[in-house]
Amino acid sequence: MTGSTVLQARGLSMLYGDKHALVRAVDEVDLIVPAGQSLAVMGPSGCGKSSLLYLLGGLQRPTDGQVWLADRRIDTMSERALARLRRDNLGFVFQSFHLMDELTAVENVELAALLAGRSPGRARKRAMYLLDRVGLADRARHLPSALSGGQRQRVAIARALSNEPLVVLADEPTGNLDSAATLDVLRLFEELRTAGQTLVVVTHDPRIAAVADRVIAMRDGAFVDDNRLASTVAGTLYDGWR
Amino acid sequence: MAGRLLLVCRLLMRDLRRRRTETILLLTAITAATATLTIGLTLNEIADRPYQQTRTATAGPDVIVTPQATGQGALDELASLTTGAGVTDHSGPFPIAYLTMTAGGKSAHTVVAGRDTTPASIDRPAVTDGTWVRPGGVVVERAFADALGISIGDTVTISAHRLRVIGTAVTAARATYPYAGWHYPGSVLVERGGLVWVDQSDIATLAGNQPLSYTLNLKLADPAASSTYPIGDQLTTWQAISYLNGRLYSDARIALLVGSWLLNGLALAGVAGIVAGRIIGQRRRVGLLKAVGAGPAMIAAIHLAEYLAIGLAAAATGLVTGWLAAPALIRPSAGLIGSVNAQPPALRMVVAVTVLALAIAVAATLVPVLRAAATSTVHALADAATPPRRRWWRIWLSRRLPTPLLIGMRINARRPRRARLVTVNTLITTTTLVGILMVNTQAVHFDLGYTELANPRVERGEQATLVLTVVLCVLALINAVVSAWTAVLDARQPLAVARTLGATPAQAGLGLAVAQLLPAIPGVAVGIPAGVGLVTFVSTGEVQYPPDSSLFATALGVLLAIAALTAIPAMVATRRPVVDILRSAPT
Repeated sequence: MTGSTVLQARGLSMLYGDKHALVRAVDEVDLIVPAGQSLAVMGPSGCGKSSLLYLLGGLQRPTDGQVWLADRRIDTMSERALARLRRDNLGFVFQSFHLMDELTAVENVELAALLAGRSPGRARKRAMYLLDRVGLADRARHLPSALSGGQRQRVAIARALSNEPLVVLADEPTGNLDSAATLDVLRLFEELRTAGQTLVVVTHDPRIAAVADRVIAMRDGAFVDDNRLASTVAGTLYDGWR
Repeated sequence: MAGRLLLVCRLLMRDLRRRRTETILLLTAITAATATLTIGLTLNEIADRPYQQTRTATAGPDVIVTPQATGQGALDELASLTTGAGVTDHSGPFPIAYLTMTAGGKSAHTVVAGRDTTPASIDRPAVTDGTWVRPGGVVVERAFADALGISIGDTVTISAHRLRVIGTAVTAARATYPYAGWHYPGSVLVERGGLVWVDQSDIATLAGNQPLSYTLNLKLADPAASSTYPIGDQLTTWQAISYLNGRLYSDARIALLVGSWLLNGLALAGVAGIVAGRIIGQRRRVGLLKAVGAGPAMIAAIHLAEYLAIGLAAAATGLVTGWLAAPALIRPSAGLIGSVNAQPPALRMVVAVTVLALAIAVAATLVPVLRAAATSTVHALADAATPPRRRWWRIWLSRRLPTPLLIGMRINARRPRRARLVTVNTLITTTTLVGILMVNTQAVHFDLGYTELANPRVERGEQATLVLTVVLCVLALINAVVSAWTAVLDARQPLAVARTLGATPAQAGLGLAVAQLLPAIPGVAVGIPAGVGLVTFVSTGEVQYPPDSSLFATALGVLLAIAALTAIPAMVATRRPVVDILRSAPT
């Protein structure tokens, strides 16, 4: 299901602090993500995987290196251009969902589409379709406070898909979920992978890795392993859950 | 475009509904400022309008001539004026006597005017109650009747003659009480007093041995040129009477003008405090919006739209509140026709109030909104507090302080802007309180004849001070409560950590109170001389200063009020188990 390169990082570095206490959150990372690939970046807490995700998504600017999305260099883009890029080409899923408490599920999903300038009618239609796809059509008018953790994350995934992004970036999407909710999210990611959606997921949950085409291990800001077979191990764990 | 507009409106409406308390506080703070401005502008309007209405209704003269001579000499002087250049009509001469009237045990200087029972062509006083003059009866100018507390049917005594009050009336030919222009015949020194009308046939009896003076009312071809009419210094123009009537409001006008500057400052500081707290609480929302593709302009638009909507609502509320409250708070003189809000607010008033409301909303929100728009997405999503700037002296000092002081200092170090807002709030509150104290201290030497009567000018000054005091209390309370609650909510996590390290709930609570009191102290210290200086600066006459004990009590009262208002939320916060606070994470 893979094709041309959609996301690429070259010598990507992110440093914090000053020269006396320098922290290398991301240390000269090179990465190529072909279209349609689902990539899991695994590693312990503080290894820099979330920082890497933020750099790939243009949420943060690297100290050094380059990020390319669909042949466009994004690390030098203006804030405005980055915002446009995020709403048209990227979808984010966060560990703590980041839904707007005052908006219903369907309103949260159509948020990105409205920001992208879609008409309210089209945005609503697409949001309802996505909610149906994640199994929450009957919860469309519920506020996040009336949804379970798993349901909230499914709403967040629907929102990430709202503008048919080139890449969905997920940061510990199952970190705040119980086992049952985690399985729901895993099934969704598996569906996305099957549908050819490019996915980059940072996680320390091996079950997530099990549904990925490719797993990269990270430590101290750098990749230590790029093993496509790592998913086999994780897949065994996922089968156990299933 | 329609989609983005829908999004802005949706977020605006939902957020206003979701944060009702804050919305109401914002609305109240801006409304207090706009209502004060409306009252001030209404006062400006009424200073002039009722006199014009009265002048029209009573066929008011353009020039009133009252020679210093009395008796026949005066009549001779006036005789030639009726056919002078530019005179189109006249009434009189009417006899007048400068006497003393006693009513209900109160005595006052009184200008007694003798009039015919039939109305004159010029200066036809409008009877507001009862009937016009007839032999044996007296008609009292309405403001004078108000001050003396007399009504129809009462008996008054003028130069030992008892007369029945048969009516009250208003006129534009003499300034309303207490500026009726009483003086000893032949003297140029004018004293304060009231005006009554009696039948022409009664005035000679009332005057007794005193020679009668005479007054002549003239209508000119060019009323605007009255002040340059060439008769010398014996004439009074309608412009001079209008000015004298306006003096009734001069103290109130100054008080409201200066007071509204201070209150606007207080409202601005209050709104800034609420907005700062709100935007801190919306950091994750900002992060999320940016993550899904909202640019800085969109973020700013979403936030500004909310505050502009609140500003517009506050402008409307303030306008209506001020307009409705104006008649109760600032009565026009009873000696004139017309009421405060007889006409809808003028367009310039609506524009001024709207501009003020929007200016407060924008001034208080622009910086935090632009900051929010420019903030790092990752930082906003993590909802991380801005790390305090490390200052060696603060660290050095706080390490040597008792725990509550240490906690207080560190809380303020985390949010220096909020601490500065507390200082500004306290400074303006203290300045205004001291100003009000100063105004109330000014002794009023007001000779109204033989008995001290209610002084309408002081009355209006007191009304203005009352308006300022009420609005000040509302704003100061809102600011103190918001500031205390914001500090408490913001300091929950660090205080919980301090408690896990061994601080007691009492020390934590005291620390919060100290955090509010520390920046309030310089505000109070500067506010006292600022208030004294401000009143001294705007006062026209001799200034009297309140006793030091009153100033000290004001300062102490402000600090105690802040401590008390902080103590309640602090106690509530420190009663919550530490584990709950440390576990609580935004969802």
